[in-house]
Amino acid sequence: MTRFFRTRQAALTPLLLLSPAILTMLFVVAIPLVFSFYTSLTPYRLTRPETIETFIGFRNYVRLWEDAAFWAAFWRTILFLVIALNVEFLLGLGIALLINKITWGQRTLRTIMMFPMMFSPILVGFQFKFIFNDNIGIVNNALQSMGIIDFAIPWLVDARLAMFSIIFAEVWMSTSVFAILLLAGLFAMPRDPLEAAKVDGCNAWQTFRHITLPFIMPFAFIAMTIRSLDVARAYDIVQVMTDGGPAGRTELLWTLIARVGYENARMGQANAMAYVSTILSIAFTYFFFTKLVAARRYMGGAE
Amino acid sequence: MAGITLDRVVKRYGKLEVVHGIDLEIGHNEFVVLVGPSGCGKSTTLRMIAGLEDISDGDIRIGERVVNDLPPRKRNVSMVFQNYALYPHMNVRDNLGFGLKIAGQPAKVIEERVAEAAGILGLSELMDRIPAELSGGQRQRVAMGRAIVRHPDAFLFDEPLSNLDAKLRVQMRTEIKKLHGKVATTVVYVTHDQVEAMTLADRIVVMKDGYIEQVGTPMEVFNHPVNTFVASFIGSPPMNLIPGRIEGGEVRFSGGGTVPVPGRLKEHVRGGQEVIFGVRPDDLSPIGHGIHEARETCEIDLTVELAELLGTETLIYTSLAGQEIQGKMFDPRDLKVGETLTFRLSLDKAHLFDAATGRSVRPR
Amino acid sequence: MTRALKKRLKATALWLTTFVLMIVMCVPGLWVVLSAFRPNREILAKPPVWVPQDLTLRNFTKIFGIGEETVAIPVLSYFWNSLVIATTSTVIALIIGMAGGYAFARFRFRFKNAWFLGLMLFRTVPGIALSLPVFMLWSRLGIIDTQMGLIIVYVSLNVPFTVWLIDGFFRQIPMSLSEAAQVDGCTRWQAFWKIEFPLAKSGIAAAGVFAFLTSWNEFALASQLTRSTDSKTLPVGLMDFTSQFTIDWAGMCAMAVIIIVPALILTFLVQKHLIAGLTFGGVKG
Repeated sequence: MTRFFRTRQAALTPLLLLSPAILTMLFVVAIPLVFSFYTSLTPYRLTRPETIETFIGFRNYVRLWEDAAFWAAFWRTILFLVIALNVEFLLGLGIALLINKITWGQRTLRTIMMFPMMFSPILVGFQFKFIFNDNIGIVNNALQSMGIIDFAIPWLVDARLAMFSIIFAEVWMSTSVFAILLLAGLFAMPRDPLEAAKVDGCNAWQTFRHITLPFIMPFAFIAMTIRSLDVARAYDIVQVMTDGGPAGRTELLWTLIARVGYENARMGQANAMAYVSTILSIAFTYFFFTKLVAARRYMGGAE
Repeated sequence: MAGITLDRVVKRYGKLEVVHGIDLEIGHNEFVVLVGPSGCGKSTTLRMIAGLEDISDGDIRIGERVVNDLPPRKRNVSMVFQNYALYPHMNVRDNLGFGLKIAGQPAKVIEERVAEAAGILGLSELMDRIPAELSGGQRQRVAMGRAIVRHPDAFLFDEPLSNLDAKLRVQMRTEIKKLHGKVATTVVYVTHDQVEAMTLADRIVVMKDGYIEQVGTPMEVFNHPVNTFVASFIGSPPMNLIPGRIEGGEVRFSGGGTVPVPGRLKEHVRGGQEVIFGVRPDDLSPIGHGIHEARETCEIDLTVELAELLGTETLIYTSLAGQEIQGKMFDPRDLKVGETLTFRLSLDKAHLFDAATGRSVRPR
Repeated sequence: MTRALKKRLKATALWLTTFVLMIVMCVPGLWVVLSAFRPNREILAKPPVWVPQDLTLRNFTKIFGIGEETVAIPVLSYFWNSLVIATTSTVIALIIGMAGGYAFARFRFRFKNAWFLGLMLFRTVPGIALSLPVFMLWSRLGIIDTQMGLIIVYVSLNVPFTVWLIDGFFRQIPMSLSEAAQVDGCTRWQAFWKIEFPLAKSGIAAAGVFAFLTSWNEFALASQLTRSTDSKTLPVGLMDFTSQFTIDWAGMCAMAVIIIVPALILTFLVQKHLIAGLTFGGVKG
């Protein structure tokens, strides 16, 4: 008898330890998500509380399908993510390789590199709103003082430039995540394969391409996974820099959700959008996570 | 008095059974070595004795107590781990005294016992260092010291020497043996190294695939292996094993050639029986270069294929009946590859195993 | 060209590239910090004043309501709210994360990977998407615009990450240490507190800083779940400085400095462990 209970108990301990985590997630994420899914099947408006009881099936989703503004924001978000993540990866890789080469003052450089990571996205947004301001921003002021331009470049007013400014801010904020993790990968890299490659006659590029890059890829995927967990923080940046303007030309999914849900009070419709954006985020994360698991197999021998 | 008794002990992980109802009696103050290839269940058995793994069936007794359901701390055993498991954030003194402190012993007792253990193991100079500042051998000693301060009923060793380099391993082996002399306690020692087993053990327990193959003194296990597994596992280089069949008082090898059936085994075989003939390299030497004064011998001509000079002896690689075997030449002279020599085979040291079961034809 | 010269040119190029990158990285932040100590008049000046003529603490005294000139923004209450909310949610998330991380690092159980992935996937829900149902539910529960409302949300935001980091730190500690302690006479509980916890302490601290920063910096959820000085946090308060037509640049810069300074200090304290935790958690998973 005792033996039976002891075995049961041993199997229960980990679940017991995990239960607070699971309960929190259930209470604050899972239940709200279920609720939000239900809401997305109603025409719920904050201003008319009784509408939450009307069931309209998937009409909100059908309406999304026909909503040009939604699709514009959807594709803009995808484009934003693709550009931002790629630029961040390439820049981060470049910085990591650079710092890995530098011996003098490496620690200081590494510390400075972590600087943007501590900034809250809302601060990053404000900072670049300040810097790209067409009237008093340091960028225009500098360009004008140096005589490169004699007019004010409308960084946050012109649609394309505004998108550029937002991506710039996003890249500034998040490149260091890549740089730091890739640098950690470079530090962890064993010397032997590099030397073996040199002996085997690889040139610098070939060594990088066939030895270094595959080795640090798992680290890149960790960075990608971490990043895809919080890409939606870009909402804060856009919110403070352009608020989706001019004329909705920098509207991302997330700002659109906030506008429809809170400003227009159309909660049902906003929840349908929120669901789409959630699935998008999960897809991104899952994609990078499977890549990470696959890349990690290499690492087995290096442990 | 604290021996350890294992009674039909079974370990299952889910549906997978890894230890199949083993029985073992370990006497008070006996030094028992569990030896076997990796995955044979020896470490699991040790961890079950320590209480780090639950047992799925059967009973374990330490002294008179059934300890099946007791957590490790209540079993009064101590353990030395493969990677030493020293507490990295404590210095040597605190590492040694940790168990006593947990037990709530007064500071004075702790101090005395720690000093005593440190004295025995020569750690007195190192008391204020942390594990990271110690060499491999020193860490090993601290791990042993931690085991002895508590005056436990039994020491459990889990491959304690496998992280050391060859020279240090031999040295620590002797120290463990000496330690057992000084601090008489029951010891259960797990290793995959048969040399360690032979040199340390009062009794060896050879395990394979979750079964005990043979239990006996080093001499018994070496001289009278019960089956081909034990025969090939104990002893280095391993025993030569050559398949054949009994025909009219001779063993006819499948690959051609014969040797007489050793006299002491004649009654135990029948004509036509498929057997495996076993002889250790030590018992197969060129005439005039053997060590045994064997009463019963036979002679065979063998061609040297490779010779390894080991110092006082030379290991000769050759083949018999199409099978690679090894012999030894004591008091060696120069050898040429391709040279044919007449070897003397000590039949009274040879073994016969039934080919179907792998068991010795004459179990003791 | 000689080899030595080539090498020197290369080193110079390397140094120059790094230098330019550093400037791009630091100047925006430094410019904000500098502007926090300049009066609005100078920030708005045309043509621009490059060399600060008038460095002052007035922007700070203004937002803290010291002196005659004050801004009608209750920064002190925001700061207090931020501090209480971030600290409380961090402590709770750490306790939950330690239990969960220990379970993942030390036990074998069914669907372990699925549990882990599930936990991480919950974390991917965009803050703004989560805010909609939480907003509706919290209004029903009456905890909109309370510190507790935000604390609960932030705990759940931080739990997956603390579990992940702490799992990684515990995994670096060999299991045999806890076993040795148990053979030495400890209960599992004692073995945890006397051996495993002290060894994972710095890593857990790093996870704590990470959680604190997440809460300290969060905006999307806070902006919807808070209304008044009862619960508004600093990032939400920052938006108070912008009105339809005017922006108090100097005031915002000063507020930005107030937000960033605690974050800076904390990060520098634990940066080493933070990187180690992130990489080991992922690579050895």
